[in-house]
Amino acid sequence: MAGNPFPLPKEQLLQAYRTMRTIREFEERLHIDFGRGDIPGFVHLYAGEEAAGTCIMMHLGDGDRIASTHRGHGHCIGKGVDVVAMMKEIYGRKGGACEGKGGSMHIADLHKGMMGANGILGAGAPLVCGAALAAKIRAKGKERSEVAISFVGDGASNQGTFLESLNLAAVWNLPAIFVVENNGYAESTSRDYGVAVDSYVDRAAGFGLPGVTVDGTDFFAVHEAAGEIIERARKGGGPALLECKMVRFHGHFEGDAQTYRAPGENEHNREHNDCLKKFAAAVSGAGVIAADELKAIDHEVLGLIERAVSEAKAAPQPTAADLLTDVYVKY
Amino acid sequence: MNPLPISDACIGVIANPVSARDIRRVVANAGNLQITDRVNIVLRLLQAARAAGVGRALLMPDRGGIRALLERHLKRGDASLPHIDWLDMQPTSTVEDSFTATRLLQRAGVAAIVVLGGDGTHRAMVRELHAAGSALPIAGLSTGTNNAFPEMREPTITGLATALYATGRIAPQEALVANKLLEVQITGGTHAARHDVAIVDAVITHDRTVGARALWKAGSLAAAYLAFCEPEAIGLSSIGALLQPVGRRERGGLAVQIAAHAADALTLLHAPIAPGLVLPVPVAGWQRLLPDEPLAVQQSAGTVALDGERELIFEPGQHVGVTLREAAFRTLDVARCMAVAARDGLLRTPPHP
Repeated sequence: MAGNPFPLPKEQLLQAYRTMRTIREFEERLHIDFGRGDIPGFVHLYAGEEAAGTCIMMHLGDGDRIASTHRGHGHCIGKGVDVVAMMKEIYGRKGGACEGKGGSMHIADLHKGMMGANGILGAGAPLVCGAALAAKIRAKGKERSEVAISFVGDGASNQGTFLESLNLAAVWNLPAIFVVENNGYAESTSRDYGVAVDSYVDRAAGFGLPGVTVDGTDFFAVHEAAGEIIERARKGGGPALLECKMVRFHGHFEGDAQTYRAPGENEHNREHNDCLKKFAAAVSGAGVIAADELKAIDHEVLGLIERAVSEAKAAPQPTAADLLTDVYVKY
Repeated sequence: MNPLPISDACIGVIANPVSARDIRRVVANAGNLQITDRVNIVLRLLQAARAAGVGRALLMPDRGGIRALLERHLKRGDASLPHIDWLDMQPTSTVEDSFTATRLLQRAGVAAIVVLGGDGTHRAMVRELHAAGSALPIAGLSTGTNNAFPEMREPTITGLATALYATGRIAPQEALVANKLLEVQITGGTHAARHDVAIVDAVITHDRTVGARALWKAGSLAAAYLAFCEPEAIGLSSIGALLQPVGRRERGGLAVQIAAHAADALTLLHAPIAPGLVLPVPVAGWQRLLPDEPLAVQQSAGTVALDGERELIFEPGQHVGVTLREAAFRTLDVARCMAVAARDGLLRTPPHP
């Protein structure tokens, strides 16, 4: 084995691959199970976008908060939410992350700093301003603070809530970071048609925030940029925007016929823009992680997903009495 | 009435919507030229080009907003512009767009290409022209982060100068100047040989991934090969410029070796290696880079940053060579064109037609 040329030790590289692979297998399994009619509600899959959901979280601790989107499974797994509890939640079973009452678009785990996926587009950004304000107040007198990160899609970035949050974060100089996961489509509407100012960096500049665009399919590019932005926020440098240009392998929702895509687009993306393939090629090509080690992780992850599905299917459904629990929180 | 008669001369325009978007906005307060400003730059240069007789312009399409905003403007009807066509290509929002557009503009027979971008965008075009052995001239406008190569200039003037050349009112020997470049070659190992170019600086770093591509950490630098280095420039070429300046029209370049630790350095140079960042660089030594004489890179593994961005990774067992080439591509000398315009009265017409 050669020396490690990457900015992360081998253990972290292995963990990064494990997380990305877990997200991928989790989503591909949901794609199958949803098609069979096993899953209630709606699911929006994150497959193809794993690099951002993984490496940004590697800079965070449980005290750092994130607000996710309707496409939130990857963020949950990246933030350390229990995979079995997530699967139970999506299957609508007791023992789920929200006791089976939230489903795919409302998975939350406050102990992990995961404030929730969100079915309302752009709704996570104001929540993050609140979390960031709390972090800033808690950090008074300290050199570093916790941070809060809002994930938002390119479509939801047109929402007033998002734009107002950029303003608020700038005015209050919050340790807030806005990650635009730009997969090119707002549901089925190409970004070319739906966004008047195509550059999210320009949008950020309009509110006095610095913005950065990176190749969201390149783990190391996102990792480096996110690290700088998060560190800046921790030290009181204020909010920033990170645009990750990425691809989603599935439709907007499961069942989406994807007639808006160019012929062969999905196949091209899976062949040339797969962040997992790029990561695996880089770490194995450099001789840091052997192909067998990656295969072992693949095997381990498949086992985990299989167990998660089995336990989810075996778990009971919430009862009518459960409807009135977990509605209010005592402070 | 148009000041000069409209001809069938055609110019190309490559406006990069992606330049000035990297991490240096966060780590170094680098500027951000908004898309609307880039569109205004294109409009001003085209208005001036038509005023000086250019009848047609061929533009690179993009998915970053320039085409969309420009078409919105064109729908309002603007008689001050030349006829505008878009190149027949599918934008990818990567550097491939600049390569493809350069190829298509050559084939279309444009008289010159005006490019809006930073050193990286200019490098992409030059790489394509150099590979094709093309003498097609370019006129650069700076819209990037770290610009040692393109000039900060009002686009109206660049548009006028380009048009005066494109319409034949100024001869090539007066309008154009030759430029140097650095050829970078990576050979050996299990990979196929790779070739690339830099128009200002090829910098060897200790990094083993391209990461966020931009370079802003002095500690990652191992060596700098410079086609030219001028003391008033920002960016990595400032390292050489503050040791031994080499003009862009001067023969030869400069190679600078950077020490791993300050204790091993000959001198500690404080250089503006990126906007807002004046950082200590421990210099181990430097030497002139002679034309056509390849220099072997000493570093056994790392990345090669071309004009400010990490582009090529090389591993132990691979060899990196850098060769300076003189008169490798041509650019429009805007200042000289305008001086000729004044001298020869090119923008004068009779007061009473």
